[in-house]
Amino acid sequence: MSLKFKVPIFDVKNLNFSVRGQEILSNISLEIFNGEYVAIIGPNGGGKTTLIRLLLGLDKPTDGKIKLYGKKIKNFKEWHKIGYVPQRASLVDENFPATVEDIVKMGRTSKLSFFKGMSEEDKNAVKDAMIKMDVLDLKDKMVGTLSGGQRQRVMIARALASSPEILILDEPNTGVDMVSQKRFYALLAKLNKDENITIVFITHDIGVIADDIGRLFTINQKATICNNPKETLSCEDMSELYGIEAHLIHNHKHEH
Amino acid sequence: MLEMFEYEFMQRAFIAGILIATLASISGTYIVLRRYSLMSETLAHSALVGVAVGLVAGYNPLWMAVIVAVISAWLIEYLRSSFSIYSDAILSILLSGSLAIAIIIVSLGGAFNNSLFSYLFGSILSVSSEDVLTILIFGSVSLALLIAFSRDLYFIAYDEEVAKTSGIRVKFLNYLLVTVVAIIIALSIRVVGSLLIGALMVIPTVAALQYRVGFLNTVLISLFIALFSVIAGMTFSFYFSLPSGATIVLCVISIFIISLVINKK
Repeated sequence: MSLKFKVPIFDVKNLNFSVRGQEILSNISLEIFNGEYVAIIGPNGGGKTTLIRLLLGLDKPTDGKIKLYGKKIKNFKEWHKIGYVPQRASLVDENFPATVEDIVKMGRTSKLSFFKGMSEEDKNAVKDAMIKMDVLDLKDKMVGTLSGGQRQRVMIARALASSPEILILDEPNTGVDMVSQKRFYALLAKLNKDENITIVFITHDIGVIADDIGRLFTINQKATICNNPKETLSCEDMSELYGIEAHLIHNHKHEH
Repeated sequence: MLEMFEYEFMQRAFIAGILIATLASISGTYIVLRRYSLMSETLAHSALVGVAVGLVAGYNPLWMAVIVAVISAWLIEYLRSSFSIYSDAILSILLSGSLAIAIIIVSLGGAFNNSLFSYLFGSILSVSSEDVLTILIFGSVSLALLIAFSRDLYFIAYDEEVAKTSGIRVKFLNYLLVTVVAIIIALSIRVVGSLLIGALMVIPTVAALQYRVGFLNTVLISLFIALFSVIAGMTFSFYFSLPSGATIVLCVISIFIISLVINKK
C-alpha cells in the first residue's frame, strides 16, 4: 500500500504525556490514513483513552507533535470531519430531556447558523444517519428509555450526522448485550467498506473484529503498531501487553 | 381580578415579573441540565454585594447588582475550568463569601433598612419604571443570545467534550451562559428577591423534566410553569397582602409537587 504518499488524517510524532510526573504515554509516533480501520487495544490504564483525548485536543501533550489533516490542532477548524463517540456514551443520564432525534440533530449543530432552522440538507443528513444506524423508528423515543444497544447506535448516528470522514469510538460497549455488539461490529465494517469512513476503534474484543480491521495498535504507555494483525498477534504479544499470561482463543470460523 | 391593574405599580410589577419568568425559566433549563443549580443561589448572593454598594454609595443598585453578579459568574467559570476544585465547593465558598461582604458593606454604610429587605425577599411595590426599562433592555439582549445559541448550549449540556470535538466554541459559550444567567439573576432580585430567585430558575425546569419529553417541550413546559407561578403569585400577593417573592416560590413549588405526583413511575 502506498500510504506514505498521502497526507495522514492523524500524524503523531514523538508524543509524550505525563500527569504530575507520572508518564502515561511515552514517545508515541503513528499515522492514521483515510479509509483505514484501526483497532486500538491495551490494558486498562495503559493510555488508550488518553491517546484519543490528545488526538482530539481535549488534553495537551507534554511533548511531541500532533497534526490533524496536516494542521496543528489549534489551527484545525474542520471538526465536522471527525465523529467522536466517547466511552461513557451509552451511559446517558436517564433524565436528560432528549429524544433520539434531538441527540442525532446535535451532530449538525456546528454547521448551523444563528436563528436559522435546519436546511433540507441538514434534515436529510440527520435522517440518513438514523437510517444507517437503524434507529429511525425510535426517533421520537426518549433516549433514557432505550436499551444499551439502541443507545450505542444513537450515539454513532449522532456522530455520523455531521457526515464525518473519520469515526473515533472509545469502547462504546458498556451495557450492550452480545447480539447487539455483533450487529454493531457488522455496521462498523460496512461504514468502513461502503462509505469509506476511516474508523479508529478502542476495544477489548479484538478476536471478533480481527477480520475487519486493517491495522492494530497496542497501547501500554508505548505503542506497538501491527500492520497485519491476524498474523502477528501472538500470545507472547498479548502477555507482554497485558502483563499476564494470555491464551488467544481462536475463532474457528477464521481458520483455514 | 382586573382591579389590580388599575394600580400603576401592579402593571410595572406584572411586566417585570413576566419578563423575569421567561428569562429565568429558559436560562434555568441549561443551568439545571449542567448541574449548576446551586450557581443561581451563589450569583444571587453576589448580586447582593452590588446592591449593597449601590445603596451605600448612592448608585443604581440594580445596575451594580448586574455588574457584580457578572464578575462573580466569570470568577466561578474561571475557577471551575482552571483549578481542580469541586464545582459545588466553589459555589458554596463564593455564596458565603459574597453574603459576608454584602453584610459588612451594608453594616459599615448604615444601610440596614427596608430598602435592603426588599432586595432580599422581593417586593412588587418597589419596581420602578426605571427598573422595568433596565429589565427590558438587558432581558431582550439575554433572551436573544439564549435563542441564538440554544442548540450549542443544549449540546454542551449534553456532553461538553463531544461538543468541543464537534467544533463548538465551548469555552466562549460557557462564559456567555454564566454571564447571561448572572444578568438575569441580578435583574430578578427586585421582584423575587435574592434569597428566592434560585427557586424560579431551577424549579420550573425540574418540574418540566418530570414529564419526560424532548428538549423543546421541556423548555416550553418550564416557561409555562414559571409564567403561571409568577402571575398567580403576584395576584395572591396583591389580594392577600403577602410578600411577592415568597408567594411566587410557593406557587412554583406547588406545581412541582403536582408534576412529581402525576408523573410518578
